[in-house]
Amino acid sequence: MAEAATAPGGGQPRVALVTGAAQGLGHATALRLAADGFAVAVNDISDDGRLTALAGQTGGLAVPGDIADPETVTAIAGAVAERFGGVDVLVANAAAMEMGPFLTQDPAIWWRQIEVNLSGHFRLVQAVVPQMRARRSGRIVLIASGWGVIGYPNATAYAASKAGLIALAKGLGRELAPQGILTNAIAPSYIDTEQLGVDAADAGISLEQMRQRYRELIPTGQLATVEDVAAAVAFLASPGASAFVGQVLQPGGGVTRTRA
Amino acid sequence: MKASADPVVVVTGAASGIGAATAALFAERGWRTAGLDLRPSATDMPFTCDVTDANAVGSAIDAVVERLGGIDAAVTAAGYYEEGIDVCDITKAQWDSMLNVILGGTVNICAAVLPHMIGKDRGTIVAISSELALGGSATDLHYVAAKGAVLGLIKSLAAEFAATPIRVNAVAPGPTDTPLLVGDSIWREPEYLVTLPLGRLVTPGEIAATVYYLATEGQLYCGEVLSPNAGAVI
Repeated sequence: MAEAATAPGGGQPRVALVTGAAQGLGHATALRLAADGFAVAVNDISDDGRLTALAGQTGGLAVPGDIADPETVTAIAGAVAERFGGVDVLVANAAAMEMGPFLTQDPAIWWRQIEVNLSGHFRLVQAVVPQMRARRSGRIVLIASGWGVIGYPNATAYAASKAGLIALAKGLGRELAPQGILTNAIAPSYIDTEQLGVDAADAGISLEQMRQRYRELIPTGQLATVEDVAAAVAFLASPGASAFVGQVLQPGGGVTRTRA
Repeated sequence: MKASADPVVVVTGAASGIGAATAALFAERGWRTAGLDLRPSATDMPFTCDVTDANAVGSAIDAVVERLGGIDAAVTAAGYYEEGIDVCDITKAQWDSMLNVILGGTVNICAAVLPHMIGKDRGTIVAISSELALGGSATDLHYVAAKGAVLGLIKSLAAEFAATPIRVNAVAPGPTDTPLLVGDSIWREPEYLVTLPLGRLVTPGEIAATVYYLATEGQLYCGEVLSPNAGAVI
């Protein structure tokens, strides 16, 4: 159902910026938005070649760099603005995650997750909003997490960062909607991505055992595919979603069932 | 009649407002449409039918399955609205009628379509609730209670069918520019609209787009409530 992603009255493609796009959900989201007609600039912490290859497929630009670093954020937004004039849709997807018991986890590791997931995207929002304001148009999609809604043991930093993104979506939704900028969040639950391998290693079990453990937590018994969640991003970026403000979509197979 | 491979949607309240916009959007995207309404709807199979009449609803749904071969999606938009009534002034007749139409009508449709969805590789029900059911409201308590009850029904049905491909969800629109909002409705007053982050009413097309997304790419939603509400409830 790709709707034309062209600016009103112009033939220029609209521009999306997706963070954390080298793999998983960010990668699938970049491809989906490109299929829907966006030129998609893609970021990840570094580029081992995947980011440049992806940018070649999305008609965009590879803008690698650590969004936890304020100067890097300025440079990312500047590079996209120089090439495309600005960002129509920001997808805040990059995330750091490392599980560990709250009382014994290294504080540096705990705070790194907040710095990337929440503060990094806060600064990226600051960097792209002036251009959106000037055009009185823009969409911001914050990728939160079902764990940010219901919590999860040994994931306090990750859950706190994602809950922070949900609150950010609500606050920005209220603050920016009068200026034509719509902010919403998506809180997916268990997605079949590379992260499951990391979770399995942390838990000391096989990947298939990890998949099964997560399936048992999902009412529908299905792990999400990255394409499923990318479709939610595409919806929030589409013309039809123009009355969504400060909402939290939860395509998680019933894991959270509206507890946001 | 379109090709028999095209999916089928049944929409209640299809003659006006959100229901009409929903049926029109699905038709535009190639779906075959059936409409249940007190008045004839611009659908492939219009039924003039009261959703509170379980037998009439059952007959209509059976006729749709007989003629179109099945039902892929059902959207329950039939309803009406009354505002400006103090809680103590809501009569038993007003209360019962509101619950019969909004909750009872939704129950009747679900009961009629679910047997035709069970065993198939897909099937989705989208109930139209209201942002007022999320945030509460004054002077329309019977409407809010009925729309809230729909959410309880939908979440429970979603859980009951979670292990199957059938998905049950709700859309809770904000104040929407339909004939249900009378010309002097409090929701049309500039003093109210200015309190909304978007500063305007929601359009029926915006609700239809949300329903269409749930019906076509919403396999991961199970008992969820999507609320395109212009920022009325955040």
